[in-house]
Amino acid sequence: MPSMTYREALNQALAEEMERDPTVYLMGEEVGHYQGAYKVSQGLLARFGEKRVIDAPIAECGFAGIGVGSAMVGLRPVIEFMTWNFSLVAIDQIVNNAAKIRQMSGGQFAIPIVFRGPSGAAAQVGAQHSQALESYYVHIPGLKVVAPSTPADAKGLLKASIRDDNPVVFMENETLYSTQGEVPAGEHLVPLGRGDVKRVGTHCTIVAWGKAVHTGLAAAKLLAAEGIELEVVDPRTLRPLDEELIFESVKKTGRLVVVQESWPVASFGVDIAYRVQRACMDELDAPVEVVSSADVPMPYARNLELEVLPSADDVVAAVRRALYLV
Amino acid sequence: MPTMNIIQAVNDALRLEMRRDPRVVILGEDVAKFGGVFRATSGLVDEFGPDRVMDTPLAEAGIIGAAIGMALYGLRPVPEIQFADFIFPAFDQIVNELAKFRYRSGGQYPAPVVIRTPYGGGIRGGHYHSQSPEALFIHTPGLKVVVPSDPYEAKGLLLSCIRQNDPVLFLEPKRIYRASKGEVPEGDYTIPLGKARVVREGTQVTVIAWGSMLHTALEGVDKAAELGISCEVIDLRTLMPFDVETMVESVKKTGRAVIVQEAPRTCGFAAELSATISERAMAWLEAPVERLCGFDTPFPYTLEHEYMPNGDRVLSTIQKTLDW
Repeated sequence: MPSMTYREALNQALAEEMERDPTVYLMGEEVGHYQGAYKVSQGLLARFGEKRVIDAPIAECGFAGIGVGSAMVGLRPVIEFMTWNFSLVAIDQIVNNAAKIRQMSGGQFAIPIVFRGPSGAAAQVGAQHSQALESYYVHIPGLKVVAPSTPADAKGLLKASIRDDNPVVFMENETLYSTQGEVPAGEHLVPLGRGDVKRVGTHCTIVAWGKAVHTGLAAAKLLAAEGIELEVVDPRTLRPLDEELIFESVKKTGRLVVVQESWPVASFGVDIAYRVQRACMDELDAPVEVVSSADVPMPYARNLELEVLPSADDVVAAVRRALYLV
Repeated sequence: MPTMNIIQAVNDALRLEMRRDPRVVILGEDVAKFGGVFRATSGLVDEFGPDRVMDTPLAEAGIIGAAIGMALYGLRPVPEIQFADFIFPAFDQIVNELAKFRYRSGGQYPAPVVIRTPYGGGIRGGHYHSQSPEALFIHTPGLKVVVPSDPYEAKGLLLSCIRQNDPVLFLEPKRIYRASKGEVPEGDYTIPLGKARVVREGTQVTVIAWGSMLHTALEGVDKAAELGISCEVIDLRTLMPFDVETMVESVKKTGRAVIVQEAPRTCGFAAELSATISERAMAWLEAPVERLCGFDTPFPYTLEHEYMPNGDRVLSTIQKTLDW
C-alpha cells in the first residue's frame, strides 16, 4: 500500500473525484493559483482549469451561497474554508440554506455539497483561529459531519462525502496535514456513518475523532506500560454517529472516556455521554468522563494554549478516575 | 400589581432601565418607528428619541458589530434580532468578537451587550421563524444565555442582564409572548442570573425545562398528577451559567430526571444537562436521564405540532423513567 501524508490523501481524493465526475468543482480562497493555503489543492488548477478550480474573493458567505445554488442546479461543489473559524461568517448559508433546502423543497432539491477545511488549534494562532467547531454543526439537522484522523480515512471519507447527496461538513486538522500513513490506491471509499476501532483494549473505551484520536492513542501507550489496555474508537463520522460500535465497546469495557478538542459545555462529547448512559446504564461501572478543551477562548501564549488543549496526561487522569484508581 | 404579558414586561423593563441609565440604547430592525415586529419596543422612541432607539437596515452582522463598538466605548446596547433564525448572519460577530473581547483584552474591554431575540416554534412560522438555537451559544465560552418563562421572570431577568458586564443572549419565547400573563410589580426588581427556580415540588421525577417548554412540561406534569405521579418541576431560567446544584439536589431526592427542550435532539443543551446530572448524581439515579426534544429535522412547517414536545409526550417520557 502506498504511504502518503494526510494532505496528499485529500489531494488525491479531490483529483480522483474531479476526474471521475465532471460536475465536481472546487472553490475557495487561494485554492487555485496559490494551490491552497495548506496545499491541499496542489496541482488541481493546472489539471482541471479555472472553471473547476475557482479562486474566490475573501467572502465566505458569498462563495458558500454560490456553492449551495450550484448544488441545486446539478453541480457537486467542494467549498474550501481556509479554516473552519471563518465559516462563522457563512454559517447562515450552511444552517439556513444548505441544511434545509432538501426538506423545504419536499425532496426536489438535493444539496450535494462538501464544505471542507481545517478545524481546531494549530500553534499560537490565537482565540479567533484555533476553534474546534464540530459541536455547532453536529447540532444542525440536515447536515452530515465528518472528521478524519488518518490519511486513509481522509481519502476514503472525502470521496464518500463528495458522492453523498447531502451537505457534508468535512473537518480536517492543520496539525494532521503532514502526518503520514498507508492509503489504499485507487477506489478507496469509507462509508459515512461507520466508525473504526483504532486500538483494541479491554479496560476502558476511548471515543475520539480527528486529532483527538492521536491524543487517545498516546494515552493508551502510556497506560499500556502499567498493564491498562485502552480501546480507542474513532467514529470518523459524527453525524450520523455509529452508536452501535461505541455501545458494543462500552458494554465490553464498562467504562468510557470521550476525548474532544471542542469546548466542553453543550458539546458533542456530552451528547455521546448522554447516549451511552442511556443505552449502557447497566454495563457502566463508572460515570462517563469527557475530556475537552478548557471552557475559554484560546489563549495566544504557548504555555496557556497547552494548558487549554486536551493532553494525553489529561486522558490518563480521566481513565484513572473511571477505573477508580485515584 | 398590574397584569402584563411577556411583551409588556419586556417593554416595561427596557423603559425603566433607559430612564435609570442614559447609557442604555436600543438598535435593530423596525424597533423605533414600528415599535418592534412583536411590539416589544413600542413607544420607546417617543420617550427617548432616535439617538437612543435606532432603526437599522436589515443587516444583522452590522447590528451586532455596531452594538459591540458602542459597548466597548461605554454604552450598554440592547440590540434586537428580529427572529433568532436571523441571528446566523451575525454569528461571527457574536462568537468571534463579542464573546471574546473581554478575554482578549485582558479584562480591559468588557462588552455589556444584551441581544434580545424571539425564539422557538408554535406560531406557524416555518423553517426560518421557528428555531431554538440556544445550544450554539451555550457552547461558546464568554456568553451568558437567559430564557424567561413568564412576564415576571422576563422583566426581572432582563433588568439583571442589562446591569451586568458580560454579553447575554436573551431568548424570548415568542409562542407565549402574549399567552403568558401574570402580575408584574411596577418599578424596579431583579432576578439573579444563574439561579433556577423550583416551580412545583414533588417526589418521584424531576422535570427540567425553560422558556415556553416550561408550560408544556407543566401540562404533562398535570396529566401525571391525575395518575398519582408526583413531579418536581424546575425552570432553569439561566441556561449559561446553569444552576447545577438545584438540579442535582432535586434528582438526589427523586432519583429520576426528564429534560424537555424544543431544539433538535443531537448535541442539544439537554445532552449537557443529562450528562451533568448523570455525572453528579449517578449513585442516586434509578433510571437513565430522559430527554424529550424536537426531532432531528429542520423545523417543519406543516408538522409543527408533531415536531414540538407536548403534554402527552412529556407524560409518556415521565412514565418511561418510572417503568425503567
